[in-house]
Amino acid sequence: MSSPDRYHRQQLLPDLGPAAQQRLAAASALLVGCGALGTVIAESLTRAGVGRLVVVDRDLVELTNLQRQVLFDENDVRAATPKAIAAQRRLGQINSGVTIDAHVADFNPTNAERLAAGCDVIVDGTDNFETRYLLNDVAVKRGTPYVYGGAVGTQGMMMVILPAPFPSPCKGEGEGEGLNVLARHDTPQHSPSPRPSPSREREYEPGPCLRCVFDSPPPAGSAETCDTAGVLGPAVGIVANLQATETLKLLTGNADRVNRRLVTIDPWRNTLRQLDISNAYQPGACPCCGGRRFDYLDGDRASRTFTLCGRNAVQVAAPANGANGGDVVDLAPIAARLTSHGNVTHNDYLLRAELTERDTKYQLTLFPDGRAIVHGTDDATTAKAIYTRYVGL
Amino acid sequence: MAVTVRIPTPLRKFTDDNETVSAEGGTVQEAIVSLQSQYPALKERLCDDSGNLRKFVNVFLNDEDIRFQDGPATAVKDGDELSIIPAIAGG
Repeated sequence: MSSPDRYHRQQLLPDLGPAAQQRLAAASALLVGCGALGTVIAESLTRAGVGRLVVVDRDLVELTNLQRQVLFDENDVRAATPKAIAAQRRLGQINSGVTIDAHVADFNPTNAERLAAGCDVIVDGTDNFETRYLLNDVAVKRGTPYVYGGAVGTQGMMMVILPAPFPSPCKGEGEGEGLNVLARHDTPQHSPSPRPSPSREREYEPGPCLRCVFDSPPPAGSAETCDTAGVLGPAVGIVANLQATETLKLLTGNADRVNRRLVTIDPWRNTLRQLDISNAYQPGACPCCGGRRFDYLDGDRASRTFTLCGRNAVQVAAPANGANGGDVVDLAPIAARLTSHGNVTHNDYLLRAELTERDTKYQLTLFPDGRAIVHGTDDATTAKAIYTRYVGL
Repeated sequence: MAVTVRIPTPLRKFTDDNETVSAEGGTVQEAIVSLQSQYPALKERLCDDSGNLRKFVNVFLNDEDIRFQDGPATAVKDGDELSIIPAIAGG
Protein backbone atom coordinates (compact mmCIF):
# COMPACT_ATOMS: atom_id res chain seq x y z
CA MET A 1 0.00 0.00 0.00
CA SER A 2 2.10 2.88 -1.19
CA SER A 3 0.85 6.42 -1.26
CA PRO A 4 2.55 9.73 -0.63
CA ASP A 5 -0.10 10.28 2.06
CA ARG A 6 1.39 7.63 4.30
CA TYR A 7 4.13 9.92 5.64
CA HIS A 8 2.24 13.19 5.27
CA ARG A 9 2.03 14.02 8.99
CA GLN A 10 5.70 13.25 9.46
CA GLN A 11 6.73 15.30 6.45
CA LEU A 12 4.94 18.35 7.83
CA LEU A 13 7.75 18.54 10.38
CA PRO A 14 10.36 21.09 9.27
CA ASP A 15 13.34 18.68 9.49
CA LEU A 16 11.54 15.76 7.87
CA GLY A 17 10.47 16.91 4.43
CA PRO A 18 10.46 14.78 1.28
CA ALA A 19 14.26 14.76 0.97
CA ALA A 20 14.63 13.47 4.53
CA GLN A 21 11.95 10.86 3.87
CA GLN A 22 13.82 9.68 0.78
CA ARG A 23 17.02 9.46 2.75
CA LEU A 24 15.26 7.36 5.38
CA ALA A 25 13.85 5.08 2.69
CA ALA A 26 17.39 4.49 1.41
CA ALA A 27 18.76 3.68 4.87
CA SER A 28 19.35 0.41 6.72
CA ALA A 29 19.20 -0.13 10.46
CA LEU A 30 20.46 -3.10 12.43
CA LEU A 31 18.29 -3.88 15.46
CA VAL A 32 19.78 -6.42 17.81
CA GLY A 33 17.26 -7.83 20.27
CA CYS A 34 13.53 -7.76 19.68
CA GLY A 35 12.02 -7.73 23.16
CA ALA A 36 10.57 -4.83 25.11
CA LEU A 37 12.94 -2.24 23.65
CA GLY A 38 13.27 -3.88 20.26
CA THR A 39 9.59 -4.28 19.43
CA VAL A 40 8.89 -0.61 20.15
CA ILE A 41 11.95 0.53 18.18
CA ALA A 42 11.08 -1.76 15.26
CA GLU A 43 7.51 -0.53 15.14
CA SER A 44 8.53 3.15 15.26
CA LEU A 45 11.15 2.79 12.52
CA THR A 46 8.84 0.71 10.34
CA ARG A 47 5.96 3.16 10.62
CA ALA A 48 8.34 6.06 9.95
CA GLY A 49 9.47 4.41 6.71
CA VAL A 50 13.04 3.18 7.16
CA GLY A 51 14.22 1.38 4.03
CA ARG A 52 15.51 -1.81 5.56
CA LEU A 53 15.42 -3.14 9.09
CA VAL A 54 17.62 -6.07 10.05
CA VAL A 55 16.14 -7.74 13.15
CA VAL A 56 18.24 -10.21 15.11
CA ASP A 57 16.81 -12.10 18.08
CA ARG A 58 17.53 -15.51 19.56
CA ASP A 59 14.40 -16.05 21.68
CA LEU A 60 10.86 -17.33 21.30
CA VAL A 61 7.74 -15.43 22.26
CA GLU A 62 6.62 -16.36 25.79
CA LEU A 63 3.51 -15.43 27.75
CA THR A 64 5.50 -13.22 30.14
CA ASN A 65 6.60 -11.08 27.15
CA LEU A 66 3.10 -9.88 26.25
CA GLN A 67 2.91 -7.34 29.10
CA ARG A 68 5.34 -5.06 27.24
CA GLN A 69 6.54 -6.48 23.91
CA VAL A 70 4.18 -4.68 21.60
CA LEU A 71 4.49 -6.69 18.38
CA PHE A 72 3.48 -10.05 19.85
CA ASP A 73 0.20 -11.73 20.78
CA GLU A 74 -1.20 -14.93 22.27
CA ASN A 75 -1.01 -16.79 18.96
CA ASP A 76 2.75 -16.26 18.93
CA VAL A 77 2.96 -17.71 22.45
CA ARG A 78 0.89 -20.78 21.51
CA ALA A 79 3.02 -21.41 18.42
CA ALA A 80 6.30 -20.66 20.24
CA THR A 81 7.18 -18.41 17.32
CA PRO A 82 10.69 -16.97 17.27
CA LYS A 83 10.51 -13.26 18.08
CA ALA A 84 12.33 -12.23 14.91
CA ILE A 85 9.80 -14.11 12.78
CA ALA A 86 6.75 -12.88 14.69
CA ALA A 87 8.08 -9.32 14.44
CA GLN A 88 8.75 -9.65 10.72
CA ARG A 89 5.20 -10.85 10.14
CA ARG A 90 3.61 -8.05 12.15
CA LEU A 91 5.88 -5.32 10.74
CA GLY A 92 5.05 -6.48 7.22
CA GLN A 93 1.37 -5.93 7.98
CA ILE A 94 2.10 -2.45 9.32
CA ASN A 95 4.22 -1.23 6.40
CA SER A 96 4.81 -3.50 3.43
CA GLY A 97 7.16 -0.91 1.92
CA VAL A 98 9.86 -1.68 4.49
CA THR A 99 12.24 -4.60 3.94
CA ILE A 100 12.47 -6.62 7.15
CA ASP A 101 15.39 -9.04 7.32
CA ALA A 102 14.71 -11.40 10.21
CA HIS A 103 17.48 -13.47 11.76
CA VAL A 104 16.65 -16.06 14.42
CA ALA A 105 20.15 -16.04 15.78
CA ASP A 106 22.37 -15.22 18.70
CA PHE A 107 24.30 -12.04 17.92
CA ASN A 108 27.85 -13.02 18.76
CA PRO A 109 31.43 -12.44 17.55
CA THR A 110 31.08 -15.02 14.79
CA ASN A 111 28.26 -13.21 12.99
CA ALA A 112 28.35 -9.65 14.37
CA GLU A 113 30.26 -7.97 11.57
CA ARG A 114 28.43 -9.83 8.84
CA LEU A 115 25.05 -8.74 10.25
CA ALA A 116 26.23 -5.14 10.66
CA ALA A 117 27.55 -4.91 7.10
CA GLY A 118 25.73 -2.31 5.06
CA CYS A 119 23.85 -0.89 8.04
CA ASP A 120 23.91 2.86 8.67
CA VAL A 121 23.08 2.61 12.36
CA ILE A 122 23.06 -0.05 15.08
CA VAL A 123 20.15 0.07 17.51
CA ASP A 124 20.22 -1.69 20.84
CA GLY A 125 17.27 -3.85 21.82
CA THR A 126 19.29 -6.34 23.86
CA ASP A 127 18.93 -7.41 27.47
CA ASN A 128 22.51 -8.08 28.53
CA PHE A 129 25.86 -6.35 28.83
CA GLU A 130 27.91 -8.83 26.86
CA THR A 131 25.97 -8.19 23.66
CA ARG A 132 26.01 -4.43 24.28
CA TYR A 133 29.78 -4.28 24.63
CA LEU A 134 30.00 -6.41 21.49
CA LEU A 135 27.70 -3.94 19.68
CA ASN A 136 29.94 -1.10 20.87
CA ASP A 137 33.02 -2.91 19.51
CA VAL A 138 31.35 -3.45 16.14
CA ALA A 139 30.14 0.15 16.01
CA VAL A 140 33.54 1.65 16.82
CA LYS A 141 35.38 -0.74 14.50
CA ARG A 142 33.12 0.11 11.59
CA GLY A 143 32.50 3.75 12.44
CA THR A 144 28.76 3.13 12.61
CA PRO A 145 26.62 5.07 15.10
CA TYR A 146 25.24 2.95 17.94
CA VAL A 147 22.12 3.87 19.91
CA TYR A 148 22.39 2.31 23.39
CA GLY A 149 19.30 1.87 25.54
CA GLY A 150 18.58 -0.15 28.66
CA ALA A 151 15.69 -0.47 31.06
CA VAL A 152 14.87 -2.43 34.18
CA GLY A 153 12.40 -1.93 36.99
CA THR A 154 10.91 1.50 36.44
CA GLN A 155 14.06 3.16 35.15
CA GLY A 156 15.95 3.40 31.92
CA MET A 157 18.94 4.92 30.19
CA MET A 158 19.78 6.05 26.68
CA MET A 159 22.96 7.22 25.00
CA VAL A 160 24.03 7.69 21.40
CA ILE A 161 27.53 6.57 20.49
CA LEU A 162 28.97 8.48 17.54
CA PRO A 163 32.30 6.87 16.67
CA ALA A 164 34.91 8.37 14.40
CA PRO A 165 34.61 7.06 10.85
CA PHE A 166 36.91 4.12 10.44
CA PRO A 167 35.80 1.63 7.80
CA SER A 168 36.82 -1.90 8.56
CA PRO A 169 39.95 -2.99 6.70
CA CYS A 170 38.36 -6.34 5.92
CA LYS A 171 35.80 -5.65 3.28
CA GLY A 172 32.70 -7.66 4.01
CA GLU A 173 29.53 -7.92 2.07
CA GLY A 174 27.98 -4.52 1.66
CA GLU A 175 31.00 -2.84 3.18
CA GLY A 176 30.91 0.90 2.83
CA GLU A 177 27.36 0.95 1.63
CA GLY A 178 25.15 3.61 2.96
CA LEU A 179 27.71 5.51 5.01
CA ASN A 180 26.85 8.65 3.17
CA VAL A 181 23.27 8.40 4.25
CA LEU A 182 24.37 10.23 7.37
CA ALA A 183 25.63 13.23 5.48
CA ARG A 184 23.22 16.10 5.27
CA HIS A 185 24.24 16.97 1.73
CA ASP A 186 24.42 14.46 -1.03
CA THR A 187 27.93 13.35 -1.74
CA PRO A 188 29.27 11.05 -4.41
CA GLN A 189 29.75 7.43 -3.39
CA HIS A 190 33.30 6.62 -2.44
CA SER A 191 34.80 3.20 -2.69
CA PRO A 192 35.58 1.56 0.65
CA SER A 193 38.90 2.52 2.12
CA PRO A 194 40.81 0.83 4.95
CA ARG A 195 41.77 4.24 6.36
CA PRO A 196 39.64 7.02 7.73
CA SER A 197 38.71 9.11 4.78
CA PRO A 198 38.32 12.84 5.21
CA SER A 199 36.19 12.83 2.10
CA ARG A 200 33.47 10.92 3.95
CA GLU A 201 31.29 13.74 4.96
CA ARG A 202 30.04 13.49 8.50
CA GLU A 203 27.86 15.95 10.16
CA TYR A 204 28.80 15.06 13.69
CA GLU A 205 31.90 15.31 15.83
CA PRO A 206 32.82 11.91 17.28
CA GLY A 207 31.97 11.41 20.93
CA PRO A 208 32.52 8.90 23.73
CA CYS A 209 31.85 5.21 23.18
CA LEU A 210 30.14 2.93 25.69
CA ARG A 211 33.50 1.98 27.21
CA CYS A 212 34.54 5.63 27.58
CA VAL A 213 31.55 6.11 29.88
CA PHE A 214 31.12 2.62 31.37
CA ASP A 215 34.58 1.11 31.24
CA SER A 216 33.41 -2.42 31.92
CA PRO A 217 30.17 -4.15 32.80
CA PRO A 218 29.52 -5.10 36.41
CA PRO A 219 30.27 -8.72 37.34
CA ALA A 220 27.74 -11.31 36.16
CA GLY A 221 24.77 -11.64 38.44
CA SER A 222 25.25 -8.25 40.12
CA ALA A 223 23.11 -6.16 37.78
CA GLU A 224 19.35 -6.29 37.91
CA THR A 225 17.50 -8.09 35.15
CA CYS A 226 13.90 -7.77 34.03
CA ASP A 227 13.34 -11.37 35.13
CA THR A 228 14.40 -10.73 38.71
CA ALA A 229 13.59 -7.07 39.31
CA GLY A 230 10.57 -6.77 37.03
CA VAL A 231 10.00 -4.08 34.47
CA LEU A 232 7.39 -1.40 33.82
CA GLY A 233 6.19 -1.61 30.21
CA PRO A 234 5.80 2.14 29.62
CA ALA A 235 9.26 2.85 31.10
CA VAL A 236 10.88 0.58 28.52
CA GLY A 237 8.66 2.17 25.89
CA ILE A 238 9.96 5.62 26.74
CA VAL A 239 13.58 4.51 26.41
CA ALA A 240 12.81 2.68 23.15
CA ASN A 241 11.10 5.72 21.68
CA LEU A 242 14.02 7.93 22.70
CA GLN A 243 16.25 5.47 20.84
CA ALA A 244 13.95 5.48 17.81
CA THR A 245 13.95 9.29 17.78
CA GLU A 246 17.75 9.46 17.80
CA THR A 247 17.88 6.79 15.07
CA LEU A 248 15.52 8.82 12.89
CA LYS A 249 17.71 11.90 13.35
CA LEU A 250 20.73 9.91 12.19
CA LEU A 251 18.97 8.39 9.19
CA THR A 252 17.33 11.57 7.92
CA GLY A 253 20.39 13.81 7.78
CA ASN A 254 19.65 15.43 11.13
CA ALA A 255 22.65 14.16 13.06
CA ASP A 256 23.31 17.69 14.27
CA ARG A 257 20.21 17.30 16.43
CA VAL A 258 21.39 14.10 18.14
CA ASN A 259 21.28 14.20 21.94
CA ARG A 260 24.91 14.02 23.10
CA ARG A 261 24.08 13.44 26.76
CA LEU A 262 23.40 10.35 28.84
CA VAL A 263 19.67 10.34 29.50
CA THR A 264 18.34 8.58 32.58
CA ILE A 265 14.66 8.33 33.39
CA ASP A 266 12.45 6.91 36.07
CA PRO A 267 8.88 7.80 35.18
CA TRP A 268 7.60 6.05 38.30
CA ARG A 269 9.68 8.29 40.55
CA ASN A 270 9.20 11.28 38.27
CA THR A 271 12.81 11.88 37.35
CA LEU A 272 14.41 12.67 34.03
CA ARG A 273 18.07 13.62 33.97
CA GLN A 274 20.55 14.36 31.25
CA LEU A 275 24.16 13.89 32.26
CA ASP A 276 27.04 15.61 30.52
CA ILE A 277 29.40 12.99 29.10
CA SER A 278 31.22 15.17 26.59
CA ASN A 279 34.38 15.11 28.74
CA ALA A 280 34.35 11.33 28.64
CA TYR A 281 35.60 11.42 25.06
CA GLN A 282 39.33 11.07 25.55
CA PRO A 283 40.22 8.60 22.83
CA GLY A 284 43.78 8.22 24.12
CA ALA A 285 42.43 6.72 27.34
CA CYS A 286 39.87 4.30 25.93
CA PRO A 287 41.00 0.79 24.96
CA CYS A 288 38.20 0.54 22.41
CA CYS A 289 37.81 3.82 20.53
CA GLY A 290 41.34 4.98 21.39
CA GLY A 291 43.36 1.78 21.30
CA ARG A 292 41.07 0.08 18.77
CA ARG A 293 41.15 -3.04 20.91
CA PHE A 294 37.90 -4.94 20.48
CA ASP A 295 37.83 -7.27 23.46
CA TYR A 296 34.25 -8.38 23.02
CA LEU A 297 34.52 -8.93 19.28
CA ASP A 298 37.95 -10.48 19.08
CA GLY A 299 37.40 -13.05 21.73
CA ASP A 300 39.09 -11.99 24.96
CA ARG A 301 35.75 -11.42 26.59
CA ALA A 302 33.49 -13.39 24.32
CA SER A 303 31.94 -16.45 25.90
CA ARG A 304 30.38 -19.48 24.35
CA THR A 305 27.80 -19.91 27.06
CA PHE A 306 25.47 -17.31 28.55
CA THR A 307 23.63 -17.82 31.79
CA LEU A 308 20.21 -16.32 31.26
CA CYS A 309 19.98 -14.64 34.64
CA GLY A 310 16.86 -15.21 36.65
CA ARG A 311 15.51 -17.71 34.18
CA ASN A 312 17.28 -20.82 35.40
CA ALA A 313 18.59 -21.35 31.90
CA VAL A 314 21.85 -21.33 29.99
CA GLN A 315 22.40 -20.67 26.33
CA VAL A 316 25.08 -22.76 24.67
CA ALA A 317 26.50 -21.47 21.38
CA ALA A 318 27.18 -24.10 18.78
CA PRO A 319 30.83 -25.13 18.56
CA ALA A 320 30.58 -24.96 14.79
CA ASN A 321 28.41 -21.87 14.49
CA GLY A 322 29.62 -21.16 11.00
CA ALA A 323 31.08 -17.82 10.03
CA ASN A 324 28.60 -17.86 7.18
CA GLY A 325 25.85 -17.89 9.78
CA GLY A 326 23.86 -20.48 7.86
CA ASP A 327 21.88 -23.28 9.39
CA VAL A 328 24.12 -26.11 10.47
CA VAL A 329 21.77 -28.51 12.22
CA ASP A 330 19.05 -30.69 10.72
CA LEU A 331 16.47 -30.83 13.51
CA ALA A 332 14.32 -33.73 12.27
CA PRO A 333 16.82 -36.56 12.82
CA ILE A 334 17.75 -35.19 16.21
CA ALA A 335 14.06 -35.06 17.16
CA ALA A 336 13.67 -38.67 16.11
CA ARG A 337 16.70 -39.63 18.17
CA LEU A 338 15.50 -37.86 21.28
CA THR A 339 11.97 -39.27 21.38
CA SER A 340 13.17 -42.19 23.47
CA HIS A 341 14.39 -39.73 26.15
CA GLY A 342 11.20 -37.74 26.60
CA ASN A 343 8.60 -35.56 24.98
CA VAL A 344 9.98 -33.92 21.81
CA THR A 345 8.40 -31.37 19.48
CA HIS A 346 9.93 -29.57 16.56
CA ASN A 347 9.15 -27.23 13.69
CA ASP A 348 11.24 -25.38 11.11
CA TYR A 349 12.63 -23.00 13.71
CA LEU A 350 13.32 -25.09 16.76
CA LEU A 351 13.31 -28.41 18.52
CA ARG A 352 12.15 -28.71 22.10
CA ALA A 353 12.83 -31.76 24.25
CA GLU A 354 11.89 -32.52 27.86
CA LEU A 355 14.76 -34.44 29.37
CA THR A 356 15.26 -35.99 32.79
CA GLU A 357 18.71 -36.51 34.23
CA ARG A 358 19.34 -37.71 37.77
CA ASP A 359 15.75 -36.88 38.69
CA THR A 360 16.14 -33.32 37.44
CA LYS A 361 14.00 -32.11 34.59
CA TYR A 362 15.60 -30.06 31.83
CA GLN A 363 14.15 -28.55 28.74
CA LEU A 364 16.42 -28.35 25.72
CA THR A 365 15.50 -25.92 22.96
CA LEU A 366 17.68 -26.34 19.89
CA PHE A 367 17.81 -23.97 16.92
CA PRO A 368 18.93 -24.72 13.36
CA ASP A 369 22.03 -22.54 13.82
CA GLY A 370 23.21 -25.06 16.41
CA ARG A 371 22.49 -22.87 19.40
CA ALA A 372 20.58 -24.29 22.35
CA ILE A 373 18.91 -22.99 25.47
CA VAL A 374 18.94 -25.40 28.38
CA HIS A 375 16.21 -24.65 30.95
CA GLY A 376 16.44 -26.21 34.39
CA THR A 377 19.95 -25.13 35.30
CA ASP A 378 21.99 -21.98 35.66
CA ASP A 379 25.25 -23.86 35.53
CA ALA A 380 27.12 -23.50 32.23
CA THR A 381 28.94 -26.80 32.59
CA THR A 382 25.75 -28.77 33.19
CA ALA A 383 24.16 -27.09 30.20
CA LYS A 384 27.14 -27.82 28.00
CA ALA A 385 27.12 -31.44 29.14
CA ILE A 386 23.46 -31.82 28.25
CA TYR A 387 24.09 -30.18 24.90
CA THR A 388 27.00 -32.45 24.15
CA ARG A 389 25.09 -35.54 25.29
CA TYR A 390 21.87 -34.97 23.39
CA VAL A 391 22.87 -32.88 20.43
CA GLY A 392 26.37 -34.23 20.01
CA LEU A 393 28.08 -31.52 18.00
CA MET B 1 29.97 19.95 53.89
CA ALA B 2 26.73 17.99 53.60
CA VAL B 3 25.98 16.46 50.23
CA THR B 4 23.13 14.28 49.04
CA VAL B 5 24.05 10.94 47.52
CA ARG B 6 21.55 9.36 45.14
CA ILE B 7 21.58 5.58 45.42
CA PRO B 8 20.69 3.53 42.32
CA THR B 9 17.98 0.88 42.67
CA PRO B 10 20.30 -2.16 42.70
CA LEU B 11 22.20 -0.74 45.71
CA ARG B 12 19.19 0.35 47.76
CA LYS B 13 19.06 -3.03 49.43
CA PHE B 14 22.26 -1.93 51.17
CA THR B 15 20.86 1.46 52.26
CA ASP B 16 17.62 0.33 53.95
CA ASP B 17 15.82 1.19 50.69
CA ASN B 18 16.78 4.85 50.96
CA GLU B 19 16.91 6.55 47.57
CA THR B 20 19.05 9.37 48.92
CA VAL B 21 21.54 9.45 51.76
CA SER B 22 23.17 12.49 53.35
CA ALA B 23 26.98 12.33 53.54
CA GLU B 24 29.68 14.58 54.95
CA GLY B 25 32.99 15.59 53.37
CA GLY B 26 34.94 18.22 51.48
CA THR B 27 35.71 15.93 48.53
CA VAL B 28 33.94 13.16 46.67
CA GLN B 29 36.26 10.63 48.33
CA GLU B 30 35.37 11.87 51.81
CA ALA B 31 31.68 11.80 51.00
CA ILE B 32 31.97 8.21 49.75
CA VAL B 33 33.79 7.19 52.93
CA SER B 34 31.05 8.88 54.95
CA LEU B 35 28.44 6.99 52.96
CA GLN B 36 30.23 3.70 53.49
CA SER B 37 30.56 4.27 57.22
CA GLN B 38 26.78 4.63 57.41
CA TYR B 39 26.17 1.56 55.23
CA PRO B 40 29.25 -0.69 55.44
CA ALA B 41 27.81 -3.28 53.03
CA LEU B 42 28.17 -0.70 50.25
CA LYS B 43 31.94 -0.65 50.56
CA GLU B 44 32.61 -3.83 48.65
CA ARG B 45 30.12 -2.82 45.97
CA LEU B 46 31.68 0.57 45.33
CA CYS B 47 35.40 0.15 45.99
CA ASP B 48 38.12 -2.42 45.43
CA ASP B 49 40.46 -3.69 48.16
CA SER B 50 42.64 -0.59 47.86
CA GLY B 51 39.65 1.68 48.41
CA ASN B 52 39.53 2.91 44.82
CA LEU B 53 36.18 3.22 43.09
CA ARG B 54 35.49 0.18 40.94
CA LYS B 55 35.71 0.67 37.19
CA PHE B 56 32.04 -0.04 36.59
CA VAL B 57 30.96 2.47 39.24
CA ASN B 58 30.28 5.89 37.76
CA VAL B 59 29.89 8.83 40.12
CA PHE B 60 28.44 12.08 38.89
CA LEU B 61 28.76 15.32 40.85
CA ASN B 62 25.58 17.18 40.04
CA ASP B 63 25.38 16.29 36.32
CA GLU B 64 29.03 15.67 35.49
CA ASP B 65 31.20 12.56 35.78
CA ILE B 66 33.89 13.03 38.45
CA ARG B 67 36.43 11.08 36.38
CA PHE B 68 36.65 14.07 34.09
CA GLN B 69 36.94 16.53 36.91
CA ASP B 70 39.47 15.78 39.67
CA GLY B 71 38.29 12.22 40.24
CA PRO B 72 37.74 11.28 43.89
CA ALA B 73 39.61 14.46 44.91
CA THR B 74 36.95 16.64 43.29
CA ALA B 75 35.81 19.22 45.82
CA VAL B 76 32.17 19.25 46.91
CA LYS B 77 30.21 22.02 48.52
CA ASP B 78 27.13 22.16 50.70
CA GLY B 79 24.01 21.06 48.87
CA ASP B 80 25.82 19.28 46.03
CA GLU B 81 24.33 16.07 44.74
CA LEU B 82 26.41 12.96 44.09
CA SER B 83 24.83 10.27 41.93
CA ILE B 84 26.02 6.71 41.56
CA ILE B 85 25.01 5.70 38.04
CA PRO B 86 25.38 2.11 36.90
CA ALA B 87 24.82 1.07 33.29
CA ILE B 88 21.45 -0.64 32.85
CA ALA B 89 21.38 -4.16 31.44
CA GLY B 90 17.71 -4.97 30.89
CA GLY B 91 15.60 -4.42 27.87
